[in-house]
Amino acid sequence: MEFLGFITLGIFIVLMLLTLFGYIRTPVQTVLVLSTVLCLIVGGVFRFVAYGWDSVVLLPNEFLGGIILHPITALLTGLFLAGGLKASGGFDALKAILGYLRRSPIGLVGTLVILINLPVISSLPCGRILAAALLPLLFTFGFEGGLGILSKSQLIVLIGAFTRNSMGSCGPSPIGGVGQIAEGFLGSFFPTASDGILRAPQAFALMLGTAVVALFLKFVSQKLYPNDVALRNAPEGFDIGKNSETQVKAPIKGFIALAIFVTSLLIAIFQPLGKMPVQSVLVTGALLMILICRIRLNDLLEGIILLPVTAMAAGFLAAGALAATGGFTALASMLNSLVSIKALGVAGMLAIFVQFQTILPLSCARILTAALVPTLYLFGPAQFNFLSWSQLAIVMAAYIINATTSCGPSPLGGGGMMGEGTMRAETGFIKGAYTFASMAVMAPMAAIFMKFLNLSVFQPTDPRFARDIIMIGAFAIAIAGVNVFFIFLGSKIFSPDASKNFWIQLVGFLFSGAIGGGILAFALFELEPTKILQGALGGIIAAALIGLMVPKMLSKRLTATLSGPNV
Amino acid sequence: MSESEKPSQIGKNRSDESQPLILPGIHRYQFFTNLKDRGWTLNLDRVALFGIVSALLATTVKPLLRGNPATIYCYECRACYATQDRCPVGISLQAELVVAGRALDYDRFIRNGGLKCVRCGNCQSFCVQYLPLPRMFEIMQQETRQAILAGIVPQESLIQGLQQGLIGKEFIDDVVKAIS
Repeated sequence: MEFLGFITLGIFIVLMLLTLFGYIRTPVQTVLVLSTVLCLIVGGVFRFVAYGWDSVVLLPNEFLGGIILHPITALLTGLFLAGGLKASGGFDALKAILGYLRRSPIGLVGTLVILINLPVISSLPCGRILAAALLPLLFTFGFEGGLGILSKSQLIVLIGAFTRNSMGSCGPSPIGGVGQIAEGFLGSFFPTASDGILRAPQAFALMLGTAVVALFLKFVSQKLYPNDVALRNAPEGFDIGKNSETQVKAPIKGFIALAIFVTSLLIAIFQPLGKMPVQSVLVTGALLMILICRIRLNDLLEGIILLPVTAMAAGFLAAGALAATGGFTALASMLNSLVSIKALGVAGMLAIFVQFQTILPLSCARILTAALVPTLYLFGPAQFNFLSWSQLAIVMAAYIINATTSCGPSPLGGGGMMGEGTMRAETGFIKGAYTFASMAVMAPMAAIFMKFLNLSVFQPTDPRFARDIIMIGAFAIAIAGVNVFFIFLGSKIFSPDASKNFWIQLVGFLFSGAIGGGILAFALFELEPTKILQGALGGIIAAALIGLMVPKMLSKRLTATLSGPNV
Repeated sequence: MSESEKPSQIGKNRSDESQPLILPGIHRYQFFTNLKDRGWTLNLDRVALFGIVSALLATTVKPLLRGNPATIYCYECRACYATQDRCPVGISLQAELVVAGRALDYDRFIRNGGLKCVRCGNCQSFCVQYLPLPRMFEIMQQETRQAILAGIVPQESLIQGLQQGLIGKEFIDDVVKAIS
């Protein structure tokens, strides 16, 4: 039966790679369902031969266990509210409030920084909920949207950074976020882990990563792909400064709807009325909108975006089929065997492992997280003893932030596509920034934060607190500094020669990967040169896989499709 | 070249060979599915979507019909794992039992010690939603007992459960009977 796991894992990976590289061009849901069906057929045959018909009959029940209902229903209810907000004029109300904020001492820049970080502040179980609600609002900040506050370049950075922050905010969410899966496993040792042991490292890394994404979009993406964004610049003579004083008026029911939306979120997060599912709170909010703001049920339904919902469900089906047929056990055993390679060791293997979901970015992080976190757990004292509990917590922090941000760069219906659509960009315009920040900044930063702050025990007389804060600050400056330097350097040396740019970017990715892997190894094993080198090598391999998980050139057929008159 | 044969402005940009196409880490143009290119898979897409919706319906409706609706509300956040040694029979992965109850996965339920649960309720206090875990496990235990008696549960699961001490005393007789 172990053989079966390798076969089904092979089916899944081959189908995903063929889709990523454009050889299979059907919606990702179809590919994932195809993978599920193939795995179940192969699994069914194996089981029939090995255990008989009864075992085959139970196979559907086993793979249905792979479906995680919570994020699907939470996303649907969140989109309901977003639809209600749109119909009742809630976005106009938000615009008006932002107008007041702009004229306050924090000014336009401060307002935008708060807006960009709103997803991680509110931390909903799926980043798409807030993104669906606020991306149309962000678009209005440009010339085409009406407000004319920002130029095209600024709007690209704003939308890209906001989407980055959204597609990762499911990690630190306390209401069924992805990070809670890892916190649950850590609860086996740390009694208060489920109170949110991973939240702070994730939130910190996400904020820092968002800033790096903004720089990447400004200095790399816009330089490399100047024609990829169809947004228009303001015409000559259009005075942005003058126009920014435009007063936005909103209907009173818009303010009420906004108040209901915010109150629902606060009740869902802080649970002042007792423990209750987030879905119930959000649906109650939607009903209140119908009653008070006089919106129709259809308005709520219009807010639903089906792609992420169905892609997520299809991903869970595929993961369930893999789990039922031993595919994930095979994956764990493959990763385990990497440890025996001397050049990699545990540090190198973990440097690859924490980047796994950015290497294979799927439409929802939960698809692989639900399977890989138990594998990671087994690397600790529970089975393989590669890591102590503290070390396991550090790896979990790095892994989870990388995983939760992987829906951003996913070309298979990932959340980043919402941002690309909003800024009228070609698919893939913002994904390079996302993969780079996840790999080079967020994963190592979360590990460092976990090591120096969350796992330290502070006494009033213990001076380590100050020392550890300084250490985190120093690492944040170093990690961000090095990567920002790479971004600036790249922006200076990129040229019109595409193949030269390819190598420049690849080298940049590999360097950043090495640094990320080395820092993870340092966070785990401190100053052990061998381990740090192993971690760096693992980081290079991960970066190469992330960087090259794309076709270097488009296929002839795709090029013809893109450039032909039938586009 | 006539007006209709001229490539559009967008097309011109896209075919501009001096512009770099795809660079490392940038999933540019990936998942470009022009509808006309996948016309032959339209029916496949429809079947797939039908499959997804059916699976979601089955996952939701089955627990309702079998009287175990609370399993639907589980966040699968695993906060219940913090029960640790407060579980008198040493069950460590309680969320697995909830999922098994929802999906009616007997093997998963037995493998994770569902049949040795004494329904003390210690794990319930760790649930972020305070779901009635003992009640959910009890319903699944009865479902599993019926399945064992009906001969649906594979012998391997039962034998392994017995060998690893995963069968509680109230179920031992039924399991032994089913194996013999």
